[in-house]
Amino acid sequence: MSWAASPAAAAGGAVRGDEPPGPRRPTGRGRFAEGSLRLRSVSAFVSVAGTGIIWLALLGPVIALLSHLSWSAIAKSLTAPGALDPLVISVESGLVTLGVLFAVCTPLAWMLARGKLPFPRVWETGVLCSLLLPPLVIGLLLVFMVGPYTPIGGLLADLHQSATNTFLALVIAEVYESAPYYVLGAQSAFASVEPRLEQQAGLLGDRPRRVFRRVTLPLAAPGLAMSLSIAWARAMGAFGAVIIIAYNPMGIPLQIYTTLQETGLASALPYALVLLVVALPLPLAAYIWSARAGRRRRG
Amino acid sequence: MLDADVEVDRRAFTVRIALQVAPGERLALFGPSGAGKTTLLEVIAGLVPPRRGHIELGGRVLTSTAPPVRAVPPWQRRVGLLRQDPGLFPHLSVRDNLCYAPSATPSDAELSSLAALLGIESLLAAMPARLSGGQAHRVALGRLLLAHCDMLLLDEPYTGLDASLRRTLTQQVGSLVTERSVPAILVTHELVDAQAFADRLAVLDRGELLQVGAPDEVVLRPASRRVAELVGYLGFVPSSEIVAGVHPERVIPGAFGDRGLVLTGVVKACRPAGAGWEADLSIGDAAATCRLPDKPPASGGELVVTVLDPPYFGVDGRALSAVPRLSPRR
Repeated sequence: MSWAASPAAAAGGAVRGDEPPGPRRPTGRGRFAEGSLRLRSVSAFVSVAGTGIIWLALLGPVIALLSHLSWSAIAKSLTAPGALDPLVISVESGLVTLGVLFAVCTPLAWMLARGKLPFPRVWETGVLCSLLLPPLVIGLLLVFMVGPYTPIGGLLADLHQSATNTFLALVIAEVYESAPYYVLGAQSAFASVEPRLEQQAGLLGDRPRRVFRRVTLPLAAPGLAMSLSIAWARAMGAFGAVIIIAYNPMGIPLQIYTTLQETGLASALPYALVLLVVALPLPLAAYIWSARAGRRRRG
Repeated sequence: MLDADVEVDRRAFTVRIALQVAPGERLALFGPSGAGKTTLLEVIAGLVPPRRGHIELGGRVLTSTAPPVRAVPPWQRRVGLLRQDPGLFPHLSVRDNLCYAPSATPSDAELSSLAALLGIESLLAAMPARLSGGQAHRVALGRLLLAHCDMLLLDEPYTGLDASLRRTLTQQVGSLVTERSVPAILVTHELVDAQAFADRLAVLDRGELLQVGAPDEVVLRPASRRVAELVGYLGFVPSSEIVAGVHPERVIPGAFGDRGLVLTGVVKACRPAGAGWEADLSIGDAAATCRLPDKPPASGGELVVTVLDPPYFGVDGRALSAVPRLSPRR
């Protein structure tokens, strides 16, 4: 068998050897391949163009915003006395919200991801419920939960606090609107960390808390940062729950709404730009940072 | 010195194992998949609690279910575990992986001599994603060595690597274990790997230690028919009350009555195997497979072979200590 095969192989080699070096002459098959290549490039062009149109359509509102702004109008509305107070309120309440989310929801997300809780489906459904509730409904229900005539409201009154039209109320509303986005994102970030790696770190001599700090947290960090920044964007834009329990102090979304109601579309636009400028950098930074972390890990 | 005596419940059976491993000794745990090998390692590492048991390592009691009850957590055991997945931390460079353990504080000279020993000195700055399978395993091994573990547990670490690399790594681990004089246990379902590594071979089946002995002794003198089956005996030829075990690699062609049992069989099938041939013989009612250097006669042909010094088993499946004299049979 093997002897019979070798001369054939040698002959095949000779045939290949006879072929002139350099690019192949187009055969019938080659011409067909070129045609299909052209066809393919047309379909490639169509698909790129189609994707571009969809992308532009998604960006439409931002483009509309930028094309309808005039610098003088921006300067005029932003230099009015007290015009930037809502910005300060929004950033402050947003930062407090992020702090609360990170401190309270990170352990919950970790427990959910590691399956440490009994009846995990029940817990997850609970988180999903708060995601699925419309913000306006959250606001209504918050009144019944922390309003002045409730046990919690009474407790707050004893501490000379109130959760109606206060900074505290604003933070509560923002936390409820953004928490599910953070919990679900953080859960999947933790779930992507191999339990075997945590086990290995333990066997190498690290206590569980140290393992969390040296292995779990760094590996989950890009995902955590992404979900934290999404939560930031939600908190910055929180409106439905806020308008019901925290009309005052006024953050940017309510400022846009009241300006719209009082003086019309044109004067509300600059504040929309402010909201975008404040809400976007953190998600963008988180995205760039997590992409970098991924590249670094790939070496 | 590791002294373990544990019972762990599994779904189908209970793992009951008592064994000692001396410092610097290399024990290979050999057995089929699902025999409870990995479970034993996880119990020693403290990842799985035993139902009953006592584990002592170098005078420290790690686990004791009898009073005074003790269950030292994994991070205080100083037991190194190497699995098939090397488990390098992807966010740390090779250097940081090597120095991960809190107890690993090597000087630069120490680190570079270990890296040179393992052949990874040019990779210290690389990220784990860049490493090949063999390199990743060397780094994982280096990390265990720098952690100054009191014991090494190797859970089929080199499955999936090619044979020559497996051989090199196994030898490297073996010499390092001897040098550091820590006890080591290798779990494998490849007999050749187990023999290449071990001073002592333990055969485990369905949670029970069937035989512990020298790596050649277990194969040449299996304690029972079940052990013989596990270490590769493919034929059992009965003779009145007793059965002779035929290992394919312990068969030579021709009749040499002074070297073992002479059998005359009929060739049922034969096929090339490596540089030689493998033939299925039928000997009376029994069947046996043997490896031969030359091509045997075609199917239906008669073949006389000698099984070199075969083990004999009684009706209960236990090995007979006295080797009987048998007349050649067909």
